[in-house]
Amino acid sequence: MINVTDLTKSFGKNQVLKGITTTIDRGEVVALIGPSGSGKSTFLRCLNMLETPTSGVIAIDGTAITDPKTDIARVRQRIGMVFQHFHLFPHMTVMDNITFAPIQVKGLPREAAQAKAKELLARVGLLDKADSYPSRLSGGQKQRVAIARSLAMEPDIMLFDEPTSALDPEMVKEVLSVIRGLAETGMTMLIVTHEMKFAREAADTIYFLDQGKLVERTEPEQFFTKPQSERAARFLEQVL
Amino acid sequence: MIRKKFNRIYLSLILVMLLLLALGQAVPLGQESSSTAHAEGAATSPMDGQKKKLILGTSADYPPYESVDAKNSGEIVGLDIDIAKYITSQLGYELEIANMDFNGLIASLQTGRVDFVMSAMSATEDRKKNVDFSDIYYAARNTIVSKKSAPLETEASLAGKRVGTQLGSTQDLYAETIEGASLKKLNKIPDLIQELNSGRIDAAIVEDAVALEMTSLNPDLVMNFLPAESADNGYALAFPKQSPIVAEFNGVLADMKANGELDRIVDKWFPDEEKESNSLLNLNIDFSVLKGYIPYILKGVYVTLLFTLVSALFGLVWGTILSLFKISGIKPLEWFATAYTSVFRGTPLLVQLTIIYYATPQIFHYDIPALMAAGLAFGLNSSAYLSETIRGGIMAVDKGQREAAIALGVPYRTMMLRIIFPQALRTILPALVNECVALLKESSLVSVIGVADLMRRADVVRSATFKSIEVLLFIAAIYYVLVLVLTALAHRLERRLRRSD
Repeated sequence: MINVTDLTKSFGKNQVLKGITTTIDRGEVVALIGPSGSGKSTFLRCLNMLETPTSGVIAIDGTAITDPKTDIARVRQRIGMVFQHFHLFPHMTVMDNITFAPIQVKGLPREAAQAKAKELLARVGLLDKADSYPSRLSGGQKQRVAIARSLAMEPDIMLFDEPTSALDPEMVKEVLSVIRGLAETGMTMLIVTHEMKFAREAADTIYFLDQGKLVERTEPEQFFTKPQSERAARFLEQVL
Repeated sequence: MIRKKFNRIYLSLILVMLLLLALGQAVPLGQESSSTAHAEGAATSPMDGQKKKLILGTSADYPPYESVDAKNSGEIVGLDIDIAKYITSQLGYELEIANMDFNGLIASLQTGRVDFVMSAMSATEDRKKNVDFSDIYYAARNTIVSKKSAPLETEASLAGKRVGTQLGSTQDLYAETIEGASLKKLNKIPDLIQELNSGRIDAAIVEDAVALEMTSLNPDLVMNFLPAESADNGYALAFPKQSPIVAEFNGVLADMKANGELDRIVDKWFPDEEKESNSLLNLNIDFSVLKGYIPYILKGVYVTLLFTLVSALFGLVWGTILSLFKISGIKPLEWFATAYTSVFRGTPLLVQLTIIYYATPQIFHYDIPALMAAGLAFGLNSSAYLSETIRGGIMAVDKGQREAAIALGVPYRTMMLRIIFPQALRTILPALVNECVALLKESSLVSVIGVADLMRRADVVRSATFKSIEVLLFIAAIYYVLVLVLTALAHRLERRLRRSD
């Protein structure tokens, strides 16, 4: 579904991604792990062109989204993204946060968008917060609303950029369980995370990145029990 | 729901605008003086039987020659106006009167804004370089007005004294020739009286009729005529160079002199007996002088508010566009916006206003209405400041907001209008209110191009009553109340915007 070929990204002289090639299948759940500064988030942000790659090709269902002629806004409608710091629209209610893009971008009628939003809010367990403003929500609640907001666009792919890193420990669980539930529906997902237990249980594939390279790409059991590279082994030693 | 709330705010703003504009149609207040005096008895219409309209330019702050009859109709009346009405009616023209600052009269002739000027204007050699004059219709004598307690009677006595004149007047030119006098040039006659009373000048040089009026209303002042040869130039009508109508005007003037009509008009405005002085305590502040003028002054509130609203909205829209230029990342747009800000912040607003009002007809051959010129100048100026404020507001919105919108596939325009601006607005609202308050107060500048705002109306009343302090205190209070109301409204808006916190 997603084909990445020799992807590089530099910020000035600093090369953050040093040639990544991989393929992600439909319905595959990928957990991206690695030390900070390894390029995990940058890789993720390249997949919906929030960062413009320096070189290389990213193709989704055969369409090269790195091609300047591609209508990137259209592609982005198919790719949901959840951020570390939620980025809910603070001047809108929860309901308006979720219905904004479906109404404005997809031209969905208000009633249909609101019905869909209620369904999603029920799914993330926040139906009673529909008319609240984000400032009234806890971190975990905010992140669940952010997930619902992304899902409202009915994406084929979901990108999670450290979705639990900004949360208090007691709220991590409620967010992870929503993501896990989503994985079970067959959604294609890439998740940058430091939650090793979650990665091991929920992911189909572990990508281990280090210094801008995709060092290891294996099944969770194998990665966590018998890492192939010395760097991965050392990383696991530190975090487990 | 915040979105609905915004829609309501926008909607009510638009409604207020429409209402004001509709009122503007119904009550012609935009420019004080577009009163059309229908020429009477146009039996001798020479122009193919068709009535043509002539616009008379005058500075209606010089009674009895021309002044605004603020107590009654608000029309412009006076000796000059009667003569102009008589001549145009004899020639079969329709007459329209445009009121403006004396200093702007010549420029208005040159730019074709008015067809002729009658404003107790002397036919000086300097002026003849730029305009054509008719024959002289009245010759006035220069007069020294001074305090009774320290009277100055001759030209020689002025040596070493502080002498006030009206800027650009004949007496101003004459005063230049007085040896040893230090000159203070003021814009208006009432200013001269004020300065005399407060002792900042020792004497004022004005013409006889004005001196008569000044002394009759201010018993503390005394007048002394200067020898007639000092006033070598009499009053004449001014026309644009090579104007074809000078000859016919001169013809009627000659007739008026011959048949006694001119004397009749002069007698009407200069009664032989001196007016009985009725102001008792001149040095005390006496607000009763405002009686009868208050409705006239209050009408200026509408003009001032309309004008502030127009320029604030224009400044906000154009300032927003400029701020987008500045953050666009497109070099030419950024340069343009930066240069624009630099120029408009670096030159005085009054200069910009005057340039736009007088240069537009000359360069673009479009007779720009005063209100539009003022709205344009203030909007252009204010947008330079606002663009910086708005840019700062946009930059202060968390970068993640933009990324979240982009990731959802929201187009740029929608993102800016619905996500970024509403959040930026909350941060910059206090600065926006400041700008509106500044606009409201600075709007008093538009009086120089003849817009009948509060300040202009105050000037009119000052020239009619020769009382400055009372009128100025009155409009200062009005401005202050307006600012208070504006600030209170802004606070309410701010509270509503903060509801989501």
